[in-house]
Amino acid sequence: MRHGLPGAAALAAALFVGAAGAADVEAGRQKAAVCAECHGPDGNSSDPAVPSLAGQPAQFLSGQLFFFREEYRREPRMSPAAKALSNSDMNDLAAYFASVKPAPPKHVTTPENEQRGLELTQKFRCVQCHSAGLQGQQHVPRIAGQQPEYLRAQLRGFKQRTRSDIDGYMTQMAQPLSDHEIDVLVDYIAGLRTPSRAAAGGSR
Amino acid sequence: MLTRSIALALVSAACAANAQDKPAASPPPSWQQGKPPAMSESTLHPFAIEMTGKAAKDLPIDKLKAPAGFKVEVWAEGMPGARSMAQGDKGTVFVGTRQLKDVYAVVDRGGKREAKVLLKGLDAPNGLVFNKGTLYVAERHRITRYDGIENQLDNPPQAKVVVDNLDPNKQPGHFWKFLAMGPDGKLYFNIGAPGNIVMPSYMEASVMRVDPARGVLETVALGVRNSVGMDFHPKTKELWFTNHARDWLSDDSPNDTLHRVSRKGMHFGYPYCHQGDTPDPEFGKNRSCKEFDAPTLKLGAHIAPIGMRFYNGKMFPAEYQNNIFIAMRGSWNRTIKQGYNVMRVVLDDSGKVAKYDPFLTGFLLDEKADPPMWGRPNDVMVMRDGSLLVSDDQNGIIYRVSYAK
Repeated sequence: MRHGLPGAAALAAALFVGAAGAADVEAGRQKAAVCAECHGPDGNSSDPAVPSLAGQPAQFLSGQLFFFREEYRREPRMSPAAKALSNSDMNDLAAYFASVKPAPPKHVTTPENEQRGLELTQKFRCVQCHSAGLQGQQHVPRIAGQQPEYLRAQLRGFKQRTRSDIDGYMTQMAQPLSDHEIDVLVDYIAGLRTPSRAAAGGSR
Repeated sequence: MLTRSIALALVSAACAANAQDKPAASPPPSWQQGKPPAMSESTLHPFAIEMTGKAAKDLPIDKLKAPAGFKVEVWAEGMPGARSMAQGDKGTVFVGTRQLKDVYAVVDRGGKREAKVLLKGLDAPNGLVFNKGTLYVAERHRITRYDGIENQLDNPPQAKVVVDNLDPNKQPGHFWKFLAMGPDGKLYFNIGAPGNIVMPSYMEASVMRVDPARGVLETVALGVRNSVGMDFHPKTKELWFTNHARDWLSDDSPNDTLHRVSRKGMHFGYPYCHQGDTPDPEFGKNRSCKEFDAPTLKLGAHIAPIGMRFYNGKMFPAEYQNNIFIAMRGSWNRTIKQGYNVMRVVLDDSGKVAKYDPFLTGFLLDEKADPPMWGRPNDVMVMRDGSLLVSDDQNGIIYRVSYAK
């Protein structure tokens, strides 16, 4: 992530927006080398607390990088990491991670949460924004098969109103959730493998 | 739409409990406010802009079409969230944003056009006016002035407050502002409604004006849900503005509207009556549309008219004189999408609408897809040479439409 850039050069890169280059998957792959340390090779994380980026919608990825850089979304490691990135860097990174195939999740949903988790996602109409199979779309992330501790931290953050929220919808949705319901949702969603299973419960 | 939603609701009712059973302790986002239970399964949603912008090279620019004789080209890019535009005396084009905090300046440096961030850290600096060397900026909560800014683009002056405290409740809603300079030397702007369909408080759902010399505020029009585009007729000097109607009633009603202000204090109906003839199912119960002033033109349901300008340039054919161009940023709240174009309104000598036709099209790719478009016209501005600039906040690009015989 261009840690080597001196501060002044980074600032100039941010200020002079100029003509934008086309989003470049290969350039993104090179810029992504430093991301692998936490997010895993190819953006497939093996750390339950760190999200997988592989196969996420490009608009979601570039948007979150922007929110980290501008400190709408604060996170001890990501906010500094995004600081030196230009908009073009973010578009390249987003194009690259969006192009990578997501690995199937290692998490296995406990049998008792299969049905309860499905019912909760229906009750809260998760597919309305997260799309069929909870695969994500546009600025909304794919949550199916995402790392469980990351999902838990986000849902708790939304409930506590400490997680940045583009329009307040997730904050609203998280308010009535009990801690137990959050755990059930996390256990269910983190284990979702194929789009078809969750889609069966969706109304999309 | 209604029937489809009811059908969807019935299908899923058997297996899905209603999220409304448990009262939520947090209000819905303003775009969800007023969504009736019959539409609870609707997957319609507003589209988010590309926060980092998109390069013209990645977009199907060649799809853009204007009438014969007109040429469309990318004029400047790399300005994420580019919305309202204003031109300085020395040719600088200032560009405001809503979801970002920046105001851009597009300058000509040695024959090379360059876009740069001019002002940072503002609160939805959507409204811009340039007048007599001063750039006025309307944020959510205030209007400020930057005197002599075109002489010091690399070191902008400090903001001086024209009027403050325009958003005392800091609530979500339609509080980003458009800004226009009236022939009376006053600044005109909107204060929108605090949600989709809500009883407005004092000063909300209005068009206001402020005398920049004295800071005195006046109400110009009431019952205006969300106007983010206005201009003055070059001959009559009357104020015209666009307005967004409420969502979640149906695919085809109510229409977004174009309004002519022929006297101060007109009331255009919100929240009681929409499009001049459609009582609101809740707020209109004990009111009549006859109490209110009607719009001049119904523009289309959910089509989201933003910037509008009268054409008074010298480049386009004579029949374009005093026409209105309107940038349509929607629609999202209908199952079959429409809009995503720049429309042309032709008025007759009495100011009545004679024609309403598409002028710049091609942003809409598939009216049934999600998303249906690759770009969204946001504002239009007549350049000094008579060409028309069109901003696209989805991608952070400005296009130029020119004419040659």
